[in-house]
Amino acid sequence: MTERLAPGIMADAPGRRWSRGTKNAAKRREAGVAALFLTPWMLGLVLLTLGPMLYSLYLAFTDYDLLSPPRWVGLDNFTAMASDPRFLASAGVTFAYVAVSVPLLLVISMLVALLLNTKMRFLTGYRALFYLPSLLGASVAIAALWRQVFGDEGLLNAALAIFGIEHGSWVGDPSTALGTIVVLSVWAFGSTMIIFLAGLRQVPSELYEAAAVDGAGRIRRFFSITVPMLTPLIFFNALMGTINAFQAFTGAYVISGGTGGPVNSTLFYTLYLYQRGFAQLDMGYASAMAWLLVLVLAVFTALFFWSARYWVFYGDK
Amino acid sequence: MKWTRRGLGALALGTSALLLAGCSGGGGNAGGGGGGDAVDGTGEVTGAIEIAWWGGDARNEKTNAVIDMFEEANEGVTANGQSADFQGYFDRLNVQAASKSLPCAVQLQGRQVNDYTSRDLLLPLDPMIEAGVIDVSDIPEAVVDTGRGPDGNLYFLPYGAAYDAVGVNTTLAQQAGVELPAEGYDWDDFVTFLEDAAENLPEGTRAIDSNGGRPNFFIGWTQANGKTLFDEDGKLGFTEDDLVEYWTMWEDLRAAGVTETAERTAEEPSGPDQGYFANGQLMTDTIPGNALTPVTAVLDGKGQGHEVTTIPYPSGAEGSGNALYPSGFAIPRSCDNVPTAAAFVNFFTNDLDAGLVFASDNGAATNTKVLEAQLADPALSETKKHELELFQRIVENDPPSIVFPPGYQATFEAAFRQAYEQVAFGRQSVEEAAASFIAEANAGLGS
Amino acid sequence: MTTTSIRMPRRIFPTTVVKHPVLFGIVRHTLLVCLLVVLLYPLLWMVAASFRPNNEIFNGLGLFTGNFTLDNYVNGWGAGQLGFSQYFLNSFLVTALSIVGNLISCSLTAYAFARLEFPFKRTLFAILLGTMLLPYHVTLVPQYILFNELDWINTYLPLVVPKFLGTEAFFIFLMVQFIRTLPRELDESARLDGAGHFGIFARIIMPLALPAIGTTAMFTFIASWNDFLGPLLYVNRADLQTVPLALQTFLDSTGENAFGELFAMSTLSLAPIVGFFIVSQRLLIEGIATTGMK
Repeated sequence: MTERLAPGIMADAPGRRWSRGTKNAAKRREAGVAALFLTPWMLGLVLLTLGPMLYSLYLAFTDYDLLSPPRWVGLDNFTAMASDPRFLASAGVTFAYVAVSVPLLLVISMLVALLLNTKMRFLTGYRALFYLPSLLGASVAIAALWRQVFGDEGLLNAALAIFGIEHGSWVGDPSTALGTIVVLSVWAFGSTMIIFLAGLRQVPSELYEAAAVDGAGRIRRFFSITVPMLTPLIFFNALMGTINAFQAFTGAYVISGGTGGPVNSTLFYTLYLYQRGFAQLDMGYASAMAWLLVLVLAVFTALFFWSARYWVFYGDK
Repeated sequence: MKWTRRGLGALALGTSALLLAGCSGGGGNAGGGGGGDAVDGTGEVTGAIEIAWWGGDARNEKTNAVIDMFEEANEGVTANGQSADFQGYFDRLNVQAASKSLPCAVQLQGRQVNDYTSRDLLLPLDPMIEAGVIDVSDIPEAVVDTGRGPDGNLYFLPYGAAYDAVGVNTTLAQQAGVELPAEGYDWDDFVTFLEDAAENLPEGTRAIDSNGGRPNFFIGWTQANGKTLFDEDGKLGFTEDDLVEYWTMWEDLRAAGVTETAERTAEEPSGPDQGYFANGQLMTDTIPGNALTPVTAVLDGKGQGHEVTTIPYPSGAEGSGNALYPSGFAIPRSCDNVPTAAAFVNFFTNDLDAGLVFASDNGAATNTKVLEAQLADPALSETKKHELELFQRIVENDPPSIVFPPGYQATFEAAFRQAYEQVAFGRQSVEEAAASFIAEANAGLGS
Repeated sequence: MTTTSIRMPRRIFPTTVVKHPVLFGIVRHTLLVCLLVVLLYPLLWMVAASFRPNNEIFNGLGLFTGNFTLDNYVNGWGAGQLGFSQYFLNSFLVTALSIVGNLISCSLTAYAFARLEFPFKRTLFAILLGTMLLPYHVTLVPQYILFNELDWINTYLPLVVPKFLGTEAFFIFLMVQFIRTLPRELDESARLDGAGHFGIFARIIMPLALPAIGTTAMFTFIASWNDFLGPLLYVNRADLQTVPLALQTFLDSTGENAFGELFAMSTLSLAPIVGFFIVSQRLLIEGIATTGMK
């Protein structure tokens, strides 16, 4: 897995810039320096991260109820998934969510970032205000707020009523409940936007000026300068957005009160994993689900990195 | 960050311990050491203990006050309380159990206790009662029994008994021109009452919530009709046909517009003081008996002058449909300070002053002397008084105690709600949903 | 893309030729304000609701319905055993330590991955990414067992120490991506001036990566400030509780809810993050502009 996972960082990384004679000594010295830089992370990895990860991998092959010691059951947990309707439902919900929310989030946060990347009055204020929804995080207040907006007697229906449209609850209807959670994730686009904004700040304006001299229009400049310069961060946001969406938990947990209802329509993969692990005391099954997700995400990540060589441009080349 | 050699060593040890646990974890007997040893809780009451319960700010305040009183009454004891909301409480409890670091006094209900007894994690309290460390003489025997596990041992001492009641918005009932059901009414009377009311209720209100997925109403229905939720072996005590009959009743009501729509019920907040009943949009609903006070307060805030009261669940040929859901403190086997824990459990349940301070915040006080003292308190509000008196009436009818098998809260309740949702949203027929629920419950219970 | 043109970027805003600047400005501001009203209405509603008596909170969707009261703030602030002044202090402590920890460990690690060559770099980077792929729920229990063995329960160590050890791969990856947008020529010229790797790291890369540092600080602030599960598991003593734990106590599905106080204290708990954002956003977005490149 490791070979395929991260070709991007190495395949295009600069290397041989030393003359042959000094190369080996310099290389060794640099590796020593790298070891120093990496010490805290390596310590954390070995002492705090790797142990629990490997333990959970072991648990994936056991029957473990938290309250008594785990019992080895081989692949039972994995085979049980194939015939678990709720597992299949949760996988479906999650794929749909990833497919819709990630592109939406990227496009909207990019558009607003562009809008806020110009010289204008109240810029600071605007940025702060657009960022506000992201700050609320997983607050317990969110559930109440969302019902106020998307409930039967919520804001959206009140607005629709002005146009004579009647509609029932959006949160309580299985066909629209997932949509409200997509909206929640897009509502908190501030974090993604901030990363784009920070990236836009690094695009040298000389490039634009040169292009303007060449007679390139706004749209041309956007696609031939802005987008290429931003690709490392588009790449980052797209990859992290995908990973986060696959692991989405809080929104559904808060809004459905932890149930994933109505009729499993918001039963996200990790929400079901959590229900199995903590409510139903089936941590073996939950761990198996988690590692299956790791496999899926590893494939996605590998695809991202593989595709990166064709469309991501780094300034360090 | 400074790193001492010792700290690092401990970390490395911890990690390798984990890995070792991972490698050697196969097999092993559930529960581990000490099974069967009687611990009678005698000994010096001193030292530190942890006490855990679920609840919000109001209950935390009262519980902490009782803990302070306990510390004062027992010199040399330091008790640290830890609380969380219901869901978070059990998540944390299970993580603590996994690392064998459960607090010495943990609050439990009958609905979860057997998740723990089946893994032999709790101490039976009977030896402590025999040794005179814990006193149950002022608690009705039927109530004490609700703390027993399948093996007949007492695993938690019920201090407060919750019950479910039918809340009725008497203002709406009046507007609809219906009389409150008479004492001893049964389910047929109840359905007629709802249907009659539905015809004349004001715009924007309904007779009752779409309640087919709520386990508590179903428990009441089984009892009133001479069935049980679970038999003596912890298996389902009712049949698929029973469930079909029950859900068909609710579906007919829903189709006739007597109940709330499925969508609105799905989005309803879970707290009884946040639901539609507390908003004055429902004439009746099943609410916990002790929700009358907060519901009344919310309705007052609406300023429409609605008044509410609570009545017992419908009964039937086989007697009362009411059941008690007590909460109480249990003592884990892993506790290293059993005498102090036992003293606390006893103090919390039986001390008169402590009972007055706690004021039946989590179900009516099970200790009859404490309950009487509370009722005699002139400062007691009318609604709270009604809550406690209704409890006394229900206890007089000798309600059965339900032994919930392990996995009940996680499997039964969630699956029951989901199965009925499938029906209410038209995804499955009543028969299909009943069949798949029974299969799921049978598979999930007992583990 | 040629690198020569990046040599001396003066940071000025992209010039755009607009025919009717005033009209354009009005349209743009109107658009933004409309968007903001829609976006922020739920939050405005929450703030407005925090000034209503507890039993009138959910009366209607308007902002100015019901009676006005400050009770929620007064009662909410004093709620719990110790009151919110203590919880805010606790949250500040945990958050500040987390930010320092993340900044130190993540920037060091990111520099190594972005700029240095060393054996097993690909494998280690894959492992770094791999640690992000596992849902955290399944490592909660083993982690708890580990911290329990270390006797760290009821201290802030389980919340803070991991940050100093770079366990948040997200931020490392973020910084790697940022650093890689910086031209290598900068390092080379510093190297020719005799700077070592630590010099390049501290004097060239870090100042230029200020937006990444600001972003990391901001995100860490939000994540730590809002973290509920960590404190729930590891901090059981009342005097160590953080704001999110205290907020949760206003809601109780088995008793009485206090939405008024919840909304009031939620509003207050947003204030530090907003403040931090406003103070740090210069760093976040314009950091590079003030340092300049030579």
